[in-house]
Amino acid sequence: MSRSDRRYVLLLLAPAAVFLLVFVAWPLLNLFRDSLYEVALLKPGERAFVGLDNFQRALTSSRVGGAALRTLGYTAIALSAEFTLGFVAALLFNSLGRRSELLRTIFLFPLMIPPIVAGLLWRFLLIDNFGIVNHILQQLGLLASTSDVAWLGDRDIVLFSVALPDIWLTTSFVTLVLFTGLQNIPVSLLEAARIDGADALQLFRHVTLPLLRPVIAVVLIIRGIDAARAFDIIWVQTEGGPRFASEVLSMHIYRTMIRYGDLGFASAIATLFLLALLALSLLAFFVIWRPDAARGSA
Amino acid sequence: MSRRAPGPGRLLVYALVAFVMLVYISPYAYMMLTSLKPPEDALAIPPHILPRQLSLDSYTRFTSDAEVPRSFLNSFIIALMSTTLAVALALPAAWAISRYGSWPARVFLLVTLVTRMIPYIAIAIPFFALMRSFRLTDTWLAVALAHVTISLPLAIWLLAGFLEAIPSELEDAARVDGCSRLAALLRVVVPVAAGGIVVTAIFCFLASWNEFLYALLLTSVEAKTAPIVIAGFKSQYSLNWGSMTAVGTLYSLPVIVFSLFMQRRIVAGMTMGAVKG
Repeated sequence: MSRSDRRYVLLLLAPAAVFLLVFVAWPLLNLFRDSLYEVALLKPGERAFVGLDNFQRALTSSRVGGAALRTLGYTAIALSAEFTLGFVAALLFNSLGRRSELLRTIFLFPLMIPPIVAGLLWRFLLIDNFGIVNHILQQLGLLASTSDVAWLGDRDIVLFSVALPDIWLTTSFVTLVLFTGLQNIPVSLLEAARIDGADALQLFRHVTLPLLRPVIAVVLIIRGIDAARAFDIIWVQTEGGPRFASEVLSMHIYRTMIRYGDLGFASAIATLFLLALLALSLLAFFVIWRPDAARGSA
Repeated sequence: MSRRAPGPGRLLVYALVAFVMLVYISPYAYMMLTSLKPPEDALAIPPHILPRQLSLDSYTRFTSDAEVPRSFLNSFIIALMSTTLAVALALPAAWAISRYGSWPARVFLLVTLVTRMIPYIAIAIPFFALMRSFRLTDTWLAVALAHVTISLPLAIWLLAGFLEAIPSELEDAARVDGCSRLAALLRVVVPVAAGGIVVTAIFCFLASWNEFLYALLLTSVEAKTAPIVIAGFKSQYSLNWGSMTAVGTLYSLPVIVFSLFMQRRIVAGMTMGAVKG
C-alpha cells in the first residue's frame, strides 16, 4: 500500500475516530477519574481524592454484590430461555425450508417494539387481579384465584417475571441468526453423512452443531451483553422492586448517581461493571468460539 | 423431497409452528385490542379479550395533552439527527475498512466491537456531566449525540459488511475517468451501496427511537422523548393502562409496519454480522 493510500485511509477513519474519542473515550476517562474521588453530582467542582476507597466500598457492599448476582441471574434466565426457544424455532423453520418465509416475517415483528412498551405491556398482562395471564391460568384450572400469583410482587419469582418481555422481544433475533446459520450449512455435507448411515440425532450432533458453533458463539455473546446491561425493560416493570429483588447493576448505579447524588461511588461501580463485562465477553469469545476449531467450517 | 404430500411429521411441525406464532403474537394483539376499548374496560375484572364496545377514547384522551404529540416529534427529530450523523461518520470509516483493510482499519474495527461491550450506564454517567458542562442538557443535540455513541459502532459494522460486496474495480474505473478518490466514493460507491446504507440507517433510527436510559438522564422538559413520557404514564395518571396501550400502539405500529415491508433487507442486515464467520 502506497503512502498516499495510507494517508487516505487515516483521512477516512478520522471523523468517526474523533467522534469516538470525544464522546466515548473522553467520558470513559472521566468515569475512571471520578471513581477515585469523593464527588457529589450537583457539585462536581468540589472533589476530594480518596484513592481506591470507592472501589473498596463497592466490593464490600452487600447491595452492590446483590445487584451483581441478580445481573448474572437475570442474564442466565433470559439467555437460556431465548437460546432454547430460539434454537427450537430455528430448527422448525429450517425443517419447513423456504415455505417458512411468511412465518419468519411475522416472527420478526417483536424486534421492532421499544423495550419500554414491551415492559409496560407485560406489566399490564401480569397484574394479579385483572391481568389476562392470571385470568387465563385460572380458566385453565391452574390457579384457584387470580390473586394467587403476584408475578411482579413476589420476591422469589420477580427476576423470572421481569425477564419475560425480554425473552418475548429477542427470541426472534436468536431464531433469525441461527436459521440463517442453518441454511448456510451445505446440503451436500448433510447428504453425505446421511448416506454414511447417520441418523437425525447423530447428524445434528456431529455435523450441524459443530458447523453452527461460530454462529452460536456470536448469538450468545451479543445477547449476553445486552441482557447484562438491561435497564429500561426492568425499570418500567418494577423499578428494581419489590425491595431490590429485581435491582440489577445498571439500575443500582443509576440510583447511586441520581437519587443519592454520589457520583464518585457510582463511577467506581460502573468501572467495575465495565471491566467485568469486557472480561466475560472476551472470555466467552475465546472459549465458545474457539477460532481454531471453527476454522474453515464457517 | 419437498414435493411430497405432507406426512404426519410435517403436519405436526405446522401445528407446532402455528401454536408458537399464536402465543408470540397474542400479547401485542391484546395491547391493540385493549387500546380500542373504553379506557375503564382496560381495568375490568375479569378481563375480556375482545372489546365489548369500540372506543377511541384512549387515543383522544392523550392527544389533547400536548406533551405526548410533542414527545413523538422530539423522538422523530432526535432519531433523524443521530441517524444522519452516524451514517455520515460511519460511511468513510467502513469504506476504509472494507476497501483498504490495512492495520489501522482493522484496529479500528476491533475498537468499535469493544465499544459494543461497554454497559450504557458507564458512558451515560460521565456523558451527563459532559453535556451539563456544555449546557446542552435537555436539548435534541445532547440526546442525538448520546444515541450516536450506540449507533455508530453498529453502523460501521453493518456498512463494512455491505461495502465488502462492492468490487474495488468500480472505484478504479471511476478514477481512470478522472474522479478523485473521494468523488469516486461519493458518486460511484454510495449509489451502488444504497440498499445497504438504507438498512444501516433503519437500524440506527430504531436504536434511537427505542432508546430509554440516555433520554431519561439527559432530558427533563423540552426534549423529552416518547419512551420517557410513556414510562411516566404509570405514575402520572396512576396506572392509566388504557392510555398506555394506545400510546404504545401508536409508537410501535408504524415502525413494525414499515419494517415488515423492508423485512428481507433487515434480516440480511441483522444476520450478516453474526453469520459471516
